[in-house]
Amino acid sequence: MLTAAKNQLRVCFLSIKYNIMREMVNKVTFLTNVVFMVLNDASILVQWFILFRLRDDVGGYSLREVLMLWGLVAASFGLSNILFARVLSLPDLIINGKLDAFLVQPKKVLLGVLTSETRISAIGDLLYGVILVCLCKPGVGGFFLFLLFVIMGALAFTAFALLLGSLSFWFVRMDILQNQMLMGMINFGTYPDGIFQGDARVLLYLLMPVGMALWQPAHVMACFDGKMFLAVLGYVLLLSVAAVAVFYRGLRRYASGNLMEARL
Amino acid sequence: MNRCNRKVAGTLPYRYGFGGRHKPWRKYTVIYKSVLLENLQYVANVALGFFSYFVFIYIYNRLWGYMYRSPEELIAGYTKEQMIWYVMMTEMLYFGANANVVAGEVARDIRGGNIAYLMNKPYHYTLYILARYTGEWSVRLPMYAVFAVLIGTALVGPLPHFQWITVPLMALCAVLGITINAVFKLCISLFSFWIEDTTPFQWIYNKLILVVGILFPVEIFPEILQPLLKLTPIYTVCYGPAKLIVDFSPEKCVEILAAQAVYLAVGSGLMLLIYRKGVKRLYVNGG
Amino acid sequence: MQAIKVENLSKTFRVKRKEKGMRGSVKAIFHPQTEEIRAVNGISFSVKEGEMLAFIGPNGAGKSTTIKMLTGILYPDGGRVEVLGIDPTKKRKQLAYRIGTVFGQKEQLWTHLTPYDNFRFFGAIYDLSEQETEERIVELAERFELSGFIDTPVRNLSLGQRIRCEIVASLLHKPKVLFLDEPTIGLDPVVKENVRELIRQMNREEQTTIFLTSHDVGDIEKLCQRIIIVNDGQIVLDDSVDHLKHHYLEKKDISLEDIIVEIYKAQGEG
Repeated sequence: MLTAAKNQLRVCFLSIKYNIMREMVNKVTFLTNVVFMVLNDASILVQWFILFRLRDDVGGYSLREVLMLWGLVAASFGLSNILFARVLSLPDLIINGKLDAFLVQPKKVLLGVLTSETRISAIGDLLYGVILVCLCKPGVGGFFLFLLFVIMGALAFTAFALLLGSLSFWFVRMDILQNQMLMGMINFGTYPDGIFQGDARVLLYLLMPVGMALWQPAHVMACFDGKMFLAVLGYVLLLSVAAVAVFYRGLRRYASGNLMEARL
Repeated sequence: MNRCNRKVAGTLPYRYGFGGRHKPWRKYTVIYKSVLLENLQYVANVALGFFSYFVFIYIYNRLWGYMYRSPEELIAGYTKEQMIWYVMMTEMLYFGANANVVAGEVARDIRGGNIAYLMNKPYHYTLYILARYTGEWSVRLPMYAVFAVLIGTALVGPLPHFQWITVPLMALCAVLGITINAVFKLCISLFSFWIEDTTPFQWIYNKLILVVGILFPVEIFPEILQPLLKLTPIYTVCYGPAKLIVDFSPEKCVEILAAQAVYLAVGSGLMLLIYRKGVKRLYVNGG
Repeated sequence: MQAIKVENLSKTFRVKRKEKGMRGSVKAIFHPQTEEIRAVNGISFSVKEGEMLAFIGPNGAGKSTTIKMLTGILYPDGGRVEVLGIDPTKKRKQLAYRIGTVFGQKEQLWTHLTPYDNFRFFGAIYDLSEQETEERIVELAERFELSGFIDTPVRNLSLGQRIRCEIVASLLHKPKVLFLDEPTIGLDPVVKENVRELIRQMNREEQTTIFLTSHDVGDIEKLCQRIIIVNDGQIVLDDSVDHLKHHYLEKKDISLEDIIVEIYKAQGEG
């Protein structure tokens, strides 16, 4: 059991290492991707400087809190796209029968698929998130809390994308839905929750993992709350288990591209 | 992180029978029409894209709802309604006339070597791309416009002081803005003749447009910066058309149209120059 | 001992159909019209250990669907499969350690890596130690004559070189059964012959069971003892290649190719 887990991890690690090695072939492209992504993310700071010129708080957040939230979202998204970027092309893999190679390997199909691509620009996202949070001087404990929440956030992103992507086993156009919902999650997640009131707020806790995986961690980082901390961990775990279950249930309907051939 | 609109339309087969040597523009209208017809099939996909637009407008509606302390307050000379309508219009142009597809395709054509086949066709490659792009947004943008008016009226109410008579001028200004944007994005993509990956530069251009043009009107920036911002293409791409819709005045209209004419001329000249240099380089290095 | 046992296996695909026009598009957004196609319709057969079997049929007959159900890629709708005593639907991973697959039209190798790096990766996937992997690479590289290009990225290899690497990658873990789906497609005659010889050698030296689909009669003639022909998802013939050659149609001097064409045609009419 333990050796099996160790072997599985070894394969995942090798897979990600090879992904990065491939991109490193052209060092200039690699570096521009990383550096420009940091600049790209940083440019949005202009928006917040403008807004905080108009008022001292936005939705109850101070500038520092907004920056912490931004750091968390960028780093979570980045980590998810370094480790599991393939989740974003899952609908394509399912519809066009590109899961075969993973299905004949004696390893977890899902982990094999997810780790088979790394987005280099995501390194820039992760870097930016970490730099931004460090500039806010969170302290040693705060920094480790941040890292833990980044892992949770990355899991939540991946699980949410996996859940929506896996629906491709049943429905069409899930690629568009997946893309739209993830963009929605990032967009909502990068604004203070205080500006949303009433039903909309409820929806953002139920419909997307924005509330529990991004806003609440930001609150816990600003002011530690043990119960909420555990609730976030429990939520992310539950979401991940649900997403994995849906993927494996759908895998039975996998058609391996034979559907395409029959379509003539 | 980037906002990315997935490519909703398929690619068009490259071969077409062109006739009419005497009318040099005819071929581009044929390309335009073919792409337009093709894109009509993807109407459902476009409609699914409304979700992201709605999310943005919803967030901005709530954000400005929080920033304005009282209904009468003016920020940078804009009422709350005008401010939200401003974002709605710029975002409508951004989503409805997304040029990422075109930019990505040009980069792929050049890096993938497809350019060699497209270059020798009896049309100018850059104009061919622009005609195709126009065919694409001709389907998407009107759909977004209808959607924008609907949710705008529902969320913030109708635009104050709106006059129907000014619509043709606004439309002209919007079309020019969209085209200038496409020309600049094309310029960036044409650098693919020299460098492997131009997408990082597209990100930065997009983000500049977003932060400086889409989210806020120019008046909101510190006064020292404003003249500088008016010199950038952003002023003609987003601010111009949206400003006219939200707060029309004949003087502004003339000013913006004049600026657009200058930018279109400069941008196109730049585009053709880069293309010519790039092709020359291709001949020298043999692809 | 049976290497493969299949009983009454079936698989049905639902194919999407789009109605024409705007209304069809709107309807198809979430609820596309579907139509059922029976790709495999209740087939049964078994393969002995060490046997070399050709599993053939016209395009769309259900060959790939069957091979994919045997290897655990597709989930059958009905019937039973056992490969080396293991049910692929229940113990996919366990089975994967003991079989190898080569799909001529789908790559399993990472094209940006060299064959050597690919083999090391596959070694890790099959839980081989570094030393075991090295030894096996040396052994197979010599047998398949890879030394000239083992350090060249796969994307720069010729098709023949690539197929040889694909086969080596699928043999690293000494599989008991090797599934080959059109392994010689697109290869020139010399390379084809070379690949066939290597497969024959594998079968002889390691007693690997070979399950082959191919449109190339040469593959079948030079490799297989037994032939199964499927059409419309059903088995229409299961016979030894020798018997088929000498007794079918009671004609002498007719090539295997012609015999197969006759059978396909007869099916088309019936």
